[in-house]
Amino acid sequence: MDHRTRVYDDVTELLPSEENPSPMVRLNRLTPAPETFPLFAKLEWMNPFGSVKDRAASYLLRDLEERGELTPDPEGGGHPDGNGRRPRGIVEPTSGNTGISLATLASARGYPMLAVVPNKVPLEKKVLLKIAGAELEVVNDDLCPSPGMGDGSINLAKTYAKAQRDRYAMPNQYENEANVRAHIETTGPEIWRQTDGRVTHVFLSLGTCGTVTGLGRYLKEKNPEIQIHAVQPTEGHDVPGLRNVRQLEVSKLFDPSLIDEIHEIDYEIAYTRALELARREGLLAGPSAGLIHEGARRVVERGGAGFGVLLFPDNVFKYISNLIKHVPALAEGTTPPNQANQANQAEPVHRDHQAYQTNQAPQANPTNPGGER
Amino acid sequence: MSEYAHPEVLVSTDWVHEHLNDPKVKLVEIDVDTQAYDAGHVPGAVGFNWQTQLQDSVRRDIASKAEIERLLGEAGITPDDTIVVYGDNNNWFAAYGFWLLKLYGHEDVRLMNGGRVKWLNEDDKELTAEPPQVTPTTYQAQGEHPELRAKVGDILKIIEAGDHNLVDVRSPDEFTGKVIAPPGMSETAQRGGHIPGAKNIPWSSAVAEDGTFKGADDLRQIYQNGQGIDPAKPTVAYCRIGERSSHTWFVLKYLLGIDDVRNYDGSWTEYGNLIGQPIER
Repeated sequence: MDHRTRVYDDVTELLPSEENPSPMVRLNRLTPAPETFPLFAKLEWMNPFGSVKDRAASYLLRDLEERGELTPDPEGGGHPDGNGRRPRGIVEPTSGNTGISLATLASARGYPMLAVVPNKVPLEKKVLLKIAGAELEVVNDDLCPSPGMGDGSINLAKTYAKAQRDRYAMPNQYENEANVRAHIETTGPEIWRQTDGRVTHVFLSLGTCGTVTGLGRYLKEKNPEIQIHAVQPTEGHDVPGLRNVRQLEVSKLFDPSLIDEIHEIDYEIAYTRALELARREGLLAGPSAGLIHEGARRVVERGGAGFGVLLFPDNVFKYISNLIKHVPALAEGTTPPNQANQANQAEPVHRDHQAYQTNQAPQANPTNPGGER
Repeated sequence: MSEYAHPEVLVSTDWVHEHLNDPKVKLVEIDVDTQAYDAGHVPGAVGFNWQTQLQDSVRRDIASKAEIERLLGEAGITPDDTIVVYGDNNNWFAAYGFWLLKLYGHEDVRLMNGGRVKWLNEDDKELTAEPPQVTPTTYQAQGEHPELRAKVGDILKIIEAGDHNLVDVRSPDEFTGKVIAPPGMSETAQRGGHIPGAKNIPWSSAVAEDGTFKGADDLRQIYQNGQGIDPAKPTVAYCRIGERSSHTWFVLKYLLGIDDVRNYDGSWTEYGNLIGQPIER
């Protein structure tokens, strides 16, 4: 393994570490105070399986392996190995990225994987899970949430792990400390070294809270003055992978004492800002990165000096269908003019465009306000 | 701290655990998510599918008496068995199954408090994906109880007379007509709003943080003192398709002990499609 030549024997050698950190890129336009408060985007999509979740997934998988919970099935078919051991794979509830990382790693190691996925997860991610070799079980979540009901995908994954424990082990990214450890041992040291200890603010999003808890613990020990700012989408959001605080009770890794401030941000901004990051910074960032950027912008505009690191979880490739839903104009002009359908023509062309220039959330595609379904 | 009016119809997960090998206790799982049973269920439980087994597959109606008799027979259940129903989403469809079984005259039906999520998250409770060993029986229903069910004709009379408690258990947005149905639902109506005179008490008002039912005092406070449900009056609960309202029907009838409570299973997807009927928003 040689990080200078970047020639590797195995894809897992590409996993991020202090010696092989994900890159950090300075923002040059979407940055309110470039001199006094520079902002750096840490591009987690440069990890081998495309997101920040490569870190948690590799630690979770290693944790299961070390505890002897997994038995490979390299040929598929579920037949016992030479020692008479039946294959035992992974079941995990996932909104996509953890699943994609886990499924790819599991495939590389010969473990079967069942991903339990909420239905609202975009098609791209569902198909990617299958491409990576996972079996898919899709759950209709958020029907009519109420106390004690829990999260449908988490409960179904737990059901598999409990009822079919001979076939499945559940890493459980929402409870497993290995998720936190991944960030204490990789993300934290990377940021500390890449900024030469100058970092003052970290901006990130909340999902399982492995990132915030791991980074918070590591960086605040290095320098208690470092502020951790988390963003969360407004309620009713459809930003995959993110939870707002009301939804956070599912995560046992949530430690509010490590978070200096939580910024609640209109979830439409996630999509419009992702476009802005692509068009003005050349960063093909996903919607959660858009939300994180807005959090950073708000803090910088309060004034004062600082050095901000924005942890951008993944890129935009997986969110084409979500973006089209929120910014319908993106679908325009994708077919020859004589084939454009009535619905496309009826959309005002520049609506989204104006919105992202003024930082206003567009009223794009209200989901059935009067209930015409 | 007072008791529920009919505490015997509610059993705890521990009670079920202790009766797993009791041949007179039959477990039935009924979920919203019809995949859940196959993934894992309480050992010995049979699974009923609300979409294909608990309603008529051609016309819009509940399953017929003959269909329920066949279903219970195939599940190895006899009329003198204790049936314990449980399911996901705080027993939504389990409550619907409970109502249906009562409607067709099964004497001893109980609900497992907290449903499958409570069982799933208790370390001493097992789940299995193995289908149960069942010896089929010939089940013969012991009389019917149509007085547990409200039909649209009853509703029209009730609006006229104004002498009932009408409880709309849907979300406030459905009640006010802001939405016709929760997002993504295929069963819907032509108009949003609620039946004139109905009070909006969302079904989840009856549920505690851990997914079990709230205590009797809390329930009385919420339904009677808070929302003005008069326990002396006949009462009808409805929702969108009749499953969430079964949950409230159970609360009103068995936990609060209101004598005459009916479930209007036609609910908003019937009333909200009627032509010329008044709607409140």
